[in-house]
Order: sequence, then C-alpha cells, then structure tokens
Amino acid sequence: MALMDAKQYEASLRRLKLKVYMFGKRVENPVDDLIIRPSMNAVAVTYECAHRPEYEDLMTATSHLTGKKINRFTHIHQSVQDLVKKTKMGRLLGSLTGCCFQRCVGMDSLNALSMTTYDIDRKYGTGYYQRFLKYLKYVQENDLTCVGAMTDTKGDRSKAPHEQEDPDMFLHVVKERDDGIVVRGAKDHQTGAVNSHEIIVMPTLTMREPDKDFAVSFAIPADTEGITYIMGRQSCDTRKLEKGNMDRGNLRYGGHEALIIFDDVFVPWERVFMYKEWDFSGQLVEQFASYHRQSYACKVGVGDVLIGASQCIAEYNGVQKAAHIRDKIIEMNHLNETLFSSSIACAAEGHKEPSGTYYVNTLLANVCKQNVTRFPFEIARLAQDIAGGLMGTLPSEADFRSAEVGGWLEKYYRGRSGVSTENRMRMLRLIENITMGSAAVGYLTESMHGAGSPQAQRIMISRQVNMEHKKKLAERLCGIRKDDGPT
Amino acid sequence: MMGRLRIGLKYCGGCNPRYDRGQAVASIKKRLEGRIAFVSYENPNTQGILVVTGCATACVDLTPFKGRPLWVVTSLKEVEQFVETMRKG
Repeated sequence: MALMDAKQYEASLRRLKLKVYMFGKRVENPVDDLIIRPSMNAVAVTYECAHRPEYEDLMTATSHLTGKKINRFTHIHQSVQDLVKKTKMGRLLGSLTGCCFQRCVGMDSLNALSMTTYDIDRKYGTGYYQRFLKYLKYVQENDLTCVGAMTDTKGDRSKAPHEQEDPDMFLHVVKERDDGIVVRGAKDHQTGAVNSHEIIVMPTLTMREPDKDFAVSFAIPADTEGITYIMGRQSCDTRKLEKGNMDRGNLRYGGHEALIIFDDVFVPWERVFMYKEWDFSGQLVEQFASYHRQSYACKVGVGDVLIGASQCIAEYNGVQKAAHIRDKIIEMNHLNETLFSSSIACAAEGHKEPSGTYYVNTLLANVCKQNVTRFPFEIARLAQDIAGGLMGTLPSEADFRSAEVGGWLEKYYRGRSGVSTENRMRMLRLIENITMGSAAVGYLTESMHGAGSPQAQRIMISRQVNMEHKKKLAERLCGIRKDDGPT
Repeated sequence: MMGRLRIGLKYCGGCNPRYDRGQAVASIKKRLEGRIAFVSYENPNTQGILVVTGCATACVDLTPFKGRPLWVVTSLKEVEQFVETMRKG
C-alpha cells in the first residue's frame, strides 16, 4: 500500500490504540472526536490529493529506495527540483485546508535523519544509516504519517540538560538493555501527534558530552506502551461542539498540538538512530530546523485563503473599490509572495549532501522562517482592518437561526445588495478563525515559534553570512583595500 | 474511441495557478468532443500528451514524455490555441 487514500488513512488511525487525554478525560475514539476530527481531515487531504490528477505532480514522488510512486511526505529529496516541489506542495495544501496539515514535520525529520545517520556512521563506523533506510522503506511502503518530536519542555532554560533539577525536562535514556533502550521525558507542541502512526524523536538542542544521555534519536509506533498524549487547547475550540457549523469559520479542517509523555518507553535497537553521539545533536537539530523553516511555505497557502476572504468581505461590504482597500490587498499579496519567494529560494539554492540527500540553503531557509515570524501577523492585521469590527462582535449562529431575534440579524447585518447576510457572516467567521480563532494557533503562533522562535533564526543568519567578504567589498570600493577586483 | 485522438492528460501540481486548470480542461473536452479523448498519461497507447500547467513556469518534468507529441498549455490563451490546433486537425 505505497499510496493510501483518505479512507484508508482514517481506517489506519482507527487501528491505533492511542492513550489521549483532553479536558481531563480519556478520549477513547480520537478519530471521531468533534474537536480532534477536523485536524484528521486536514491530514487526510495529504492522502487524497496524492490520488488527484490535478495535484499528483506535487503530492507524489518516486522512491529512491524502491522506484515506486510514493507520497512526497515520505520522500527523501533527490534533487533541487524535489526541494522546490516540497515548497509548492506546502503552499498547495495550506490553500486547500486553510490550516496546518501537520504532515511536514515527519518529512523533515526523515530527511534530516537521512543525512545525520550517514554522517555519524562515517565518523564512528556505526550502523545507523542502514537501520534508518530500513525504517524509511517501511514508512514509504505503508505511507505513514510521522510526528517529528523535537521540542523538550526544557525546565530551567539557563541550565544544560544534565544540570536540570529534574532530568526528565529533556527526554533521556534511563536504561540500556540487550534488546534496546528505555527513555523518559516529554515532547511539547507536537503538531498532528494523534493523527500520526509513528513518532520520530530527536534531541532538542546542541548538546555537550555531559549531556550524552540526552543525545538520542529513535522512532516508535505512536501507540507504544508508555506513551500518553495530552491535547493542547486552541482559541474557540469548543465551537466545534456547538450545533451548526457557521461559527467554526473553517467547516472541515483544523490543526492540533499535543504534549507527548514518554513514561519509561522501550525502544528496540533497530529503531535507534542516535545513541549518545552528542557531537551530532547540533547537526541533527540544524538540519531538521532548516528543512522545517522551508516548510513554512504552508503559511503562504493559508495566506492565499485569508487574502481571498479579505477580498470577498470587501466586496460583500461594498468597499472593494476604495483605494485604501485595494492597496491593503496589494500589500497582503506582496507580503505573501515574499514568503513564497524565500521558501522557493532556499530550495532552488539547495545542494547534495554526502548521503545523497538534497539539503536547502540554510541561510535562505532561516531568512524564510524569519519572514514567517512577521508577515502573517501583518497580513492578519490587514485582514482584520478590511473585515471591520463585526468580525469580533458578531452574534452566534444560534442567534441568527433564532425565531425571536434572527430576523433582526438578517436585516441589520446585511451588506451589499445581492449578498446574503449568512454569506457575509460565514466569511467574517473564516477571517476570525484564521486570525484569532482555532486556526490562529497555526497561522500566527506556529509562525512565530514553530521550527524555532525568531531569535533562533537570527543566530543562524548571523552565523551563515560571510561578514569578512562584505567588509572587503566595502574596503575595496573606498580605497582602504587594494586588490585585483574589476578596474 | 475510434477516430478520436487519445491524449494523455498531465497536470502540474497547482500550487498557485493563474487560471482554473480543471475548468480549462472541461472546456477543452466540451469543445473538442468527438475529436479527442483524454486518457491517463500513463496509458501506453496515447497519441500525444497535453500538459496543463497553472503558470508559465511549467514545472512538470517532461522527460517521461520524450519522443511523444506534446502540447503544453500554461494560460487560457494557450488553451485557446490548443483547441484551434486540434480543430484544424
């Protein structure tokens, strides 16, 4: 089953025995839970689109291991073209779902591990790369969704992992056995966690020798004994429990994050990809982060939806010809396409690593993500500006349907002639959903902190630029330095 | 199918299309009814391939179609040109 469809994906999730908690209670059936299900629907789009002729070119790739057609989310990039298509796939899926579709983190983990395991083996003569390839083949053949678990809860940020009062603040090895290792800890903000078949664990930061028990990477089935998921809340999440669907904004799709607890979880050796090679923790983190910073092209797709919604509401309100509205829409498009540009650029400037995997240009990937920490906020601000205050003060769908007061809402919330009041309300709810409702976790908070908070990219940018080269350029032009540059 | 040109249909991925590719193909089908039949591009019996891309970048890899008659349309204007070409036979 190298390419599952949406129904097969849903059925595969039903076979998992996940231990999920939300609002203090065990969720026995996450697939049908009204709050979780929209996020499952969004992941399902990544399966469905692989079968649609009009999207297949971006959604599928040819496995370098088997030569079979696979979902691009399980692919190891074999060319610059693959990297470019990854960016385009992110935009496409963001535009089709209007939210986080959750599957990129697993793809980025697989690609980062394909390079780091190879490099560890070259230095230490270990056998991680072959283990990894065997695992990759399993993921590709079964078209699995993997959650990439990197972020530890970190405890006291001023202390290294081994200095923490409670060592569980960073996931670590607690026992070594003949057949594997036992780990304990937690991974936070795990996007799409309960929609995933597998968990791929990586260290959260660059470690030093005293931290070697924390330098561990592995993959395990999502329903392994000892794993517990605690769902994160989202603004307006319980609207999904209400009668009607208008107040959800996005009727079908959403995202989710969860805290994953690893309570003495056993990992067999064949699933371990890094074990105490602390000197490769930084490389793995950097490679994963660079790929994931490229992945934020997804927000361009969500931006496409938000810009479309802003144009619609301007038309519904009858203000679409106002010069300042047109200019704001242009600005939104300018910002959105700038995001796309930097994601495309880091892909187009990618290169081949010793393992054979193609890797993004890390400077441009960090520039891309730095832009993402800012521009969606400005796009959201402009969308709210165009939408008007009603987006935040609109009465509920129940009031709109009410026999007593619904008529007044129908009358007083009507906009331009020819546009129904209900359509106007629906569009306002979609803008609310993306800019301050449940999808704002994906469009704004994730944009700020996902794949590393803004300062992480700034540090990488400062490391990656060649400042000496820039100084020389300046010194030559003003006569301080004499060299053989163009006369 | 007799007498109709069997054309394999291949789309780009549609990340940011400048026109509705699906609608364009529906229009081609309607206007060239009886002249062409769209089949899967993987069908070995195609007599040519139509590649429908959402923009002029046309990022589809064309190497699998090497040696076969190929039409690439990247805009509604080129859709019109394709229809005209087919009508002229």
